[in-house]
Amino acid sequence: MDQKRQRQPGERGFGIMMLGLGLFLAWQAYGIAGFEALSSPGAFPMAAAAAMVIAGAVVVVGDWRAALRDRPRLAETARAFTAEITPSVVVIFAGFVIGYAALLDTLGFLPSSFLFLFAAIHFLHRGPVVLSFGVTLLALTVIYAVFRLVFQVILPEGIVPEREIMAWLGGLVSGGAQ
Amino acid sequence: MEQAFAYFTIAWLDPSLLLLVAAGTFAGIYIGAIPGLSVTMAVSILISFTFSWEVNDALCLMVGIFMGGVYGGSRTAILLNIPGAPSAIATALDGYPLAQKGEAGQAIGIATVMSVIGGFLGILVLAIAAPVVSDFALTFQPRDYMLLGVLGILLVGSLSGESLAKGVMAGALGMLIGAVGLDPLTAQERFTFGIVELWNGISFIAVMIGLFGVSEALAQLHHLDKAAVRQQVSKIVPSFSAIRKYLPLSLQTSGIGVIIGALPGTGGDIAALMAYDHAKRVVKDPEVPFGQGAKEGLVAPETANNAAVGGAFIPMLTLGIPGDAVTAIMIGALYIHGLNPGPMLMIDRPEMFWFMVGNLTLANVFLLIFGLTGIRLFTKIVECPRGVLIPLILLLSVVGAYAVNNSVSDVYWMLGFGVLGYFMKIYGYQVGPVILGVILSRLIDENWRRAIISERESLPDFFLNLIASPLSAVLLLAVVLIFVSQTPLWPRRRSPR
Repeated sequence: MDQKRQRQPGERGFGIMMLGLGLFLAWQAYGIAGFEALSSPGAFPMAAAAAMVIAGAVVVVGDWRAALRDRPRLAETARAFTAEITPSVVVIFAGFVIGYAALLDTLGFLPSSFLFLFAAIHFLHRGPVVLSFGVTLLALTVIYAVFRLVFQVILPEGIVPEREIMAWLGGLVSGGAQ
Repeated sequence: MEQAFAYFTIAWLDPSLLLLVAAGTFAGIYIGAIPGLSVTMAVSILISFTFSWEVNDALCLMVGIFMGGVYGGSRTAILLNIPGAPSAIATALDGYPLAQKGEAGQAIGIATVMSVIGGFLGILVLAIAAPVVSDFALTFQPRDYMLLGVLGILLVGSLSGESLAKGVMAGALGMLIGAVGLDPLTAQERFTFGIVELWNGISFIAVMIGLFGVSEALAQLHHLDKAAVRQQVSKIVPSFSAIRKYLPLSLQTSGIGVIIGALPGTGGDIAALMAYDHAKRVVKDPEVPFGQGAKEGLVAPETANNAAVGGAFIPMLTLGIPGDAVTAIMIGALYIHGLNPGPMLMIDRPEMFWFMVGNLTLANVFLLIFGLTGIRLFTKIVECPRGVLIPLILLLSVVGAYAVNNSVSDVYWMLGFGVLGYFMKIYGYQVGPVILGVILSRLIDENWRRAIISERESLPDFFLNLIASPLSAVLLLAVVLIFVSQTPLWPRRRSPR
């Protein structure tokens, strides 16, 4: 972690974005109570935002100096950024994750998680469909049993009438016991 | 003394109580290991089951869960870089690099033994010096808490990696994330942009899982074709010489853990981070640099967070003040069971004090047993092909973030921070300072404002009283020394080779 790291494509842009975020948050922090009092609700956020802006400026200046030295071409940087920082596997997987998060509430935990896991495992592992299906089913069963059944964590129900199924299963078990 | 010993051994000699402590510790380890399932949540759920139980039975189970849960967070921190609990954040910094080298078994072994050592030291201080420590903790004024928070935030220096400026930037961002929501003192909106869902702030767990778990999963996509690292599980139990080597450090960090744990409002997470920083300062020549799998980086937080458990019981049992969220729930449970935790507990019901001490000791013994078993099975997780492991980490992260508040917005926050963490890692920004900022934000903010209000907004009075109080002066001196040591003003001596 402490060893010298090679400069990555897009690093300067990221630094500028973080500095921009710091400036925006500083402006927002000022809007809370201005310089009203040392104990105002905005005092601490303003101090933190100021620290972020100052440190951000140091980072951006450092990046700028390195850019003047290395003189990278914009087209080259963009190509390297796409190839090294956001390769297709990262972009596609991120797409799966965003789709999963979007469907979680509407479809419910079980169907959306099944779709995500199956698609992601099949895409990344590139094994036989049966293997991806089996791993997905096993993993989902274990996670559902631990979170939903043992620890009673409420997960999005969506289109699956979980409570009705649980009640029916409960009735079946108690009926069987009688 | 004899009576105290008799109370101490109640749970040791009663098979049903013994079993409850064992079950609690076992459950705690596995609850702690799963991101999103917190010890606080487990204890609060269990309280509803134990209302009708005998008080002794209820306490045995809860103490076991507390002790096991604080340790359990280290498992996923080491194996997957997802701290199962906030107290395991610092453990991930060196534990995960060890797993990447195939030494997960050894790392878990060290974490277990050191957690047990820290746990025993915390209990020892609870048993012999509880009233003294609680009196000391009560002398802390808001300005001292603020200085403690500032001391904590200076850890940014040791968590920053290659660039201090990037570390400060990340730490400040964390503090701003921690400030989102309604101001705790005036209920004024801060960074909410008129969105009601932001009134309660951004879930700390969502930030933690996103920055550690999701970002790591995304980063691992670059190494899909790399074969999974085979884990060596032959030397799980650390040798006696290794334990002896780390003992001085573990004693120091246990001390940090007990003190931080005993302070109301601070807990194992802050204790572990401070202990990690302490280790970085005092260990001059680790076998492997910190952040790349230094065993000292594992020893320090693991001893401190378990020592903090004993520390957290001190204000709870002697003053009736909770040291952290779990002890707050336990105080509630004690009230429900007709007990009155506070100064009178030691006088009216001394047996309860010694019974608790006995339970904690027993839970620590079970921690050693359960902690050193099942490691082979656990380490198999990291040997799983990346193409299967990465989607599973993502699913677990989503469920963990959702479980905290049953809210999909927490999942979105987690994913957002996951993407941010991914870029931060690539561009040399460490994610540790962000978490540090989030954890310490409230502590510094609230106590700064309380302190300055008590001085009627007068900065000169604030500084005068700061220097006049011995405790504040010592803390201020520590802040100044640590700050200066991170600047070029500090003479850097090279060790002769």
